[in-house]
Amino acid sequence: MATRTIRVGYLARVEGEGALDLHISDGRLARAELRIFEPPRLFEALLRGRSYIETPDIIARICGICPIAYQMSAVHAIENAFGVTVGGQLRALRRLIYCGEWIESHALHVVMLHAPDFLGYPDAIAMARDYGDAVRSALALKKTGNELLRLLGGREIHPVNVRPGGFYRVPERSEFRPITEQLMDARDRAIDLVRWVATFPFPDFERDYEFIALRHADEYPFNEGRIVSNRDLDIDIADYDSEFEERHVAHSTALHSLLKRRGAYLVGPLARYALNFDRLPAAIQALAAEVGLADGCQNPFRSIVVRALEIVFACEEALRLIGMYERPEEASVQIEPRAAVGFGCTEAPRGICWHRYEFEADGTIRTARIVPPTSQNQLSIEADLIAVAAPLVSEPDDVIRGRCEQSIRNYDPCISCSTHFLKLSVRRT
Amino acid sequence: MKEAPTRRALVVGLGNPDRGDDGVGRLVMEKLAGLLPADVPIVQIAGNILDLLTEWVGFDAVICVDAAAPLTTPGRIHRFDLAISELPRNATITSSHAVSLTDAIELSRVLHLAPRDIIVFAIEGASFTGATMAPEVAAAAVEVVGRVAAEVTKLQHISDKLAADKRDEAANSFAS
Repeated sequence: MATRTIRVGYLARVEGEGALDLHISDGRLARAELRIFEPPRLFEALLRGRSYIETPDIIARICGICPIAYQMSAVHAIENAFGVTVGGQLRALRRLIYCGEWIESHALHVVMLHAPDFLGYPDAIAMARDYGDAVRSALALKKTGNELLRLLGGREIHPVNVRPGGFYRVPERSEFRPITEQLMDARDRAIDLVRWVATFPFPDFERDYEFIALRHADEYPFNEGRIVSNRDLDIDIADYDSEFEERHVAHSTALHSLLKRRGAYLVGPLARYALNFDRLPAAIQALAAEVGLADGCQNPFRSIVVRALEIVFACEEALRLIGMYERPEEASVQIEPRAAVGFGCTEAPRGICWHRYEFEADGTIRTARIVPPTSQNQLSIEADLIAVAAPLVSEPDDVIRGRCEQSIRNYDPCISCSTHFLKLSVRRT
Repeated sequence: MKEAPTRRALVVGLGNPDRGDDGVGRLVMEKLAGLLPADVPIVQIAGNILDLLTEWVGFDAVICVDAAAPLTTPGRIHRFDLAISELPRNATITSSHAVSLTDAIELSRVLHLAPRDIIVFAIEGASFTGATMAPEVAAAAVEVVGRVAAEVTKLQHISDKLAADKRDEAANSFAS
């Protein structure tokens, strides 16, 4: 029996620590395992016994790239438990800070981490020698996103200004003046970015995914909506456990999430875009049509174009929200804790981030559950890897390895967040 | 009378004060407050090291202070003049971030965004967990404060021609 093992011992240009093992037996791809070996983070356990008021600051530490996603899902869950609704300008500011996170996170991934795969460079530094303007543009976009986080969150990494009920401090209208100009420049750069990445050579590859995302009555989703799919799913976020489950698998410290009835599903930009295209402004729909994405996208490699489109959207949305901003009289609404269970689900850059908390009467956390986007995508990533690598089994290991790493980066996996994630090995038997 | 400085200088402290000795860059910046000329900004970067690339645009000289992984002795101070030597590529400067200081500088040079002169002070740490700093690392911070202040004066007043001559001299010495 011919055995072949290809191993990527440590995956580069992803957030966190993971690896990939491909098992090839008698010339057929038998198994692909995404091994997440970053140690468990134990956030759900350390939240027990802590006050609801501390939660946004603790939970921001889960991720340095997408802390807002965790903060937003948490504050919505807290408010859901305590029967509070945050509306008006405070709600608008929450969408605005999320725009900042999408801009900085997507810009980093699209240009610095993913684009080198398509253009044949080992990293962004090598790519910058030939595509300096694109890299300079990415840096400017990232800076703009960070500025928005700093303005609303106090600082760009692990922001400190988000609290249950709203914010600790809300900005004056005049404070948005400098960022407004930056956002207009960022929007133009993002449009150029869409047109640039759309010219990349994309592998001819599609899969029939079950896309899962939030869907809101009239907005492209950030903070609110029902959990829907392109099949028959349409549920309230509180009913998540009725349709989804998490399983331990031996090769990953991250729990695998699956649909109870159908298994693997996909969250993130491709899913959001497929399920909410009609919620995008007409100008962005037209840009999508210009780059050939008006009829949706089942090719995960083209997720880079969708991410770039979402940067344009986030810039547009931020400018719209700033244009309508009137400083609210109170920075937050009053919250009275009670013994209750609350749910929160928001759209992190990488997909839905679902939280459930059970509180004591004084607002102390009794139990916490956090389902990050990357843990939900693991099964889909492994299925992609089998489909992508299967036609390549007769190719040299480095060809298979390169395409597999590129496939994993289609998902912009945040391994640190999901650990409860990369190296590649291929075993041929 | 002392001549007015001809070159713009920036001082940057790198590191996260919540990660033990990684906070030494920030500690040096705090101690430098009020000791530097008013036209020399002090910037602290705790997370996004890519911010360096936009922060130092337009400056002629930058001095960075960062923690380094332990090699021999906690508190040992290394000075790198990047006109003369490169930062070691592996496992010296400790960064908990996706982009290392070495990579950020290389990317900055490729994009023609890097200042002409970059000096890096790297202080060997002992532990990078918790909020407590090793005494020998904190003591090294005091020494680095004086050395940064002296370096600023030198870099501000050295002429661009002298700086270029210095680089050429270094390059020739490597060539020979």
